[in-house]
Amino acid sequence: MTTPNGEAPVEVGHIGSQTYVRHGDHVDTIESVDLVFKAQRKLSFTYGAIFFAVTLAVPLMTDFVEGWWNTEIWGGFTWNYLFISLLYYVFLWTMAWTYSKKADKLDDRLADLADAITEEVAEEVVEAHGEPTGA
Amino acid sequence: MGLNTLAIVLVVILISMTIALSVFSRRFTRTTADFYLAGRKVGSFANASAISGDYLSAASFLGVAAAVYASGLDGVWYAAGFAGGFIVVVLFIASPLRRFGEYTVPDFAFGRFNTNRMRLVSVVGVLATSLFYMAPQMYGAGTTWKVLVGRGIFGLDPYQSGVVVVALIIMIYVAVGGMKGTTLNQIIQFWWLAFAMILVVIFATFVGFDVNGDGSMRIRFNYPETLASQSEEPLRDVKTYTVAELTANDGALLAEAEAAMRPEAFAEVEEAVETGAATDSVTVAVFAKNKLHTLKNELLGTEDGVFFNKPGHRYNGFDQFSMVLALVLGTAGLPHILNRYYTNPSGSAARRSTFWVLVFIGVFYILAPMAGLAGREFIKAATEAGTVPQTADFVSGLLVKSDALMPTIAQMLGGEILMGIVAAGAFAAMFSTLAGLLIASASAVGHDVYEKYINKDATEKQKVFVGKASVVFFALLALTIGLIIPAVGLDKAYPALIAMMVTWAFAVGAGAFVPMLLTGIWWKGTTERGAIAGMIVGGGGSVLIIFMNMFRALGTIPADAGGIVGFLSGLTFPSLFTFPLAVLAIVIVSKIDGQLPKNVDEIWMRIHGTAHERYERQHGLDKVSGLFQKS
Repeated sequence: MTTPNGEAPVEVGHIGSQTYVRHGDHVDTIESVDLVFKAQRKLSFTYGAIFFAVTLAVPLMTDFVEGWWNTEIWGGFTWNYLFISLLYYVFLWTMAWTYSKKADKLDDRLADLADAITEEVAEEVVEAHGEPTGA
Repeated sequence: MGLNTLAIVLVVILISMTIALSVFSRRFTRTTADFYLAGRKVGSFANASAISGDYLSAASFLGVAAAVYASGLDGVWYAAGFAGGFIVVVLFIASPLRRFGEYTVPDFAFGRFNTNRMRLVSVVGVLATSLFYMAPQMYGAGTTWKVLVGRGIFGLDPYQSGVVVVALIIMIYVAVGGMKGTTLNQIIQFWWLAFAMILVVIFATFVGFDVNGDGSMRIRFNYPETLASQSEEPLRDVKTYTVAELTANDGALLAEAEAAMRPEAFAEVEEAVETGAATDSVTVAVFAKNKLHTLKNELLGTEDGVFFNKPGHRYNGFDQFSMVLALVLGTAGLPHILNRYYTNPSGSAARRSTFWVLVFIGVFYILAPMAGLAGREFIKAATEAGTVPQTADFVSGLLVKSDALMPTIAQMLGGEILMGIVAAGAFAAMFSTLAGLLIASASAVGHDVYEKYINKDATEKQKVFVGKASVVFFALLALTIGLIIPAVGLDKAYPALIAMMVTWAFAVGAGAFVPMLLTGIWWKGTTERGAIAGMIVGGGGSVLIIFMNMFRALGTIPADAGGIVGFLSGLTFPSLFTFPLAVLAIVIVSKIDGQLPKNVDEIWMRIHGTAHERYERQHGLDKVSGLFQKS
């Protein structure tokens, strides 16, 4: 198996029935990856639910809430026009910024957790296959 | 200097710069990783600029302002939807795709499902989406050339000349510069087109339009006030009919046109009808019909007019949802955008890039509808004063082809110089997007087919050569598509055709790739057969419905067709059907099939594992190196 960047040595192997992927000193096991996956899924799908709820609420209100599309609130701006032409971007920027920050923090936390979970496996891998080689 | 000479000089400067950068980049393109992915070391800010350049196509630069000009609020949706799509990318796609590595979306499909069949189906999806996206860029090239230069070369008409020149230039600069040259060009092209859009809005707001051309009356754009004044009168549509159609039913259409047109403009129509043959085409303006709230109006016996700041000009309730879905999901299915995520040095950098993309394109998409609204105000005033520019066609104070709005109002506001900057911005938008599409198409053929199946032992030199040959082939294909559009009458069948065609490309991407990517990344139980079923239902279904809609608009399928044909051909955007059906197909077929790849745990660890990133972070390999370091 080659690395995506070509820099880090990658090794896929098995300790007992446990599959592992090793990049240098760092090891992933299915247990550590599942932990990361579940935490990231929770974060991404929570944000996704908010995003789709707000985005799809606009055509829904355009169909059914007359005050939304027919009441002028600032010059020619209706709520509908103001939201789609200006406020929606503020919503998008806030979503992207807060998500990126939370995802970075989650990555840091999960990286430490994954190292802790896989420490034992990493030692077994070194015992079985020797020190990592490469970059 | 003669007419538009200054403007043409500015465009030539941009083109020369583009080619010079590609030649410069050639020194740094030695490997396929360089050619397709710029060595995977593009920083967040540079990558965000390049993604923005890649993303902001003729549809954004010419099409959004044009759609707002023609349809008001319904046109603003294009801008919001184009921007919203990146949230789906950042939430669900960006980091896992970067972690998985590889070069292309078909690579991901192959790696995730472990079969060659999956890679080849994905290649077909990449090519279909890219060709749908190339078509409006080429149409934009012809339209802009017509306004800018106004004459043809080598015996071609102005539209054809624009298509041929843009296709040939893009072919040379992508084939020579590869992804590194394309990346640098896209960064510069993005900032140029952003500068052009900002300049148009600044001119509209602070300098204003000299209505009579002698300084006696200058009107300025004021967002809430202009929106109010332009929303007082009902919207009108520009339509082209034959004389026979206009005079049928006791001249019902002619009566509609008389009610909506200025007397002097209608007098010209009457003259054309009296002197013309039955098959001659005549362009008229008629009041638009509200497509929304039809049920409510039928029940109450009321009729909503169509006004600029209110919905209903372009979409019924179904199309609104379908369009929103196509736009917000489609971005995550555009191969040329997803390829860019492989150029990030880390998953975190991929997220940062996306945030900056949203800031850049968000500002752009706030400004583009302002330009569309300003154009409406200024063209109306110029029509009343008799000072509309002669470079575009008008009927009764409306642009016949709204896609010509940006260069037209630039000329009205800032003369040749602003027109040149805007025209160069339009070409920059086309170049940057076409370049990304050509790289994506070339990598689908060169990398995913040639390197994997035709010549597995190919040398780096052979691989790069095939990549470049693929670029030439797809550029020529884009050129052909560009020439076909007006030949079959598609340019007259839809208002604001550029934005419409790009939305079709989004719909194809949203159907073909997004269900496969979302389930492939987030549901371990997805099988290869399930993924292929989803791609066929989503991608194939989208293509089928779009072509049916085109045939209906062109008259091949009658407007009053009933049954399933009538229903499907009436769908402007297919995503509300095709996306959920594709997801459903994946889930059902995967459940029935149950044949997961033998190494599914290993694959799962590649997508969601972090050992690789921890290793890179520990050794400082997640840092950005220079774009122009030799590999």
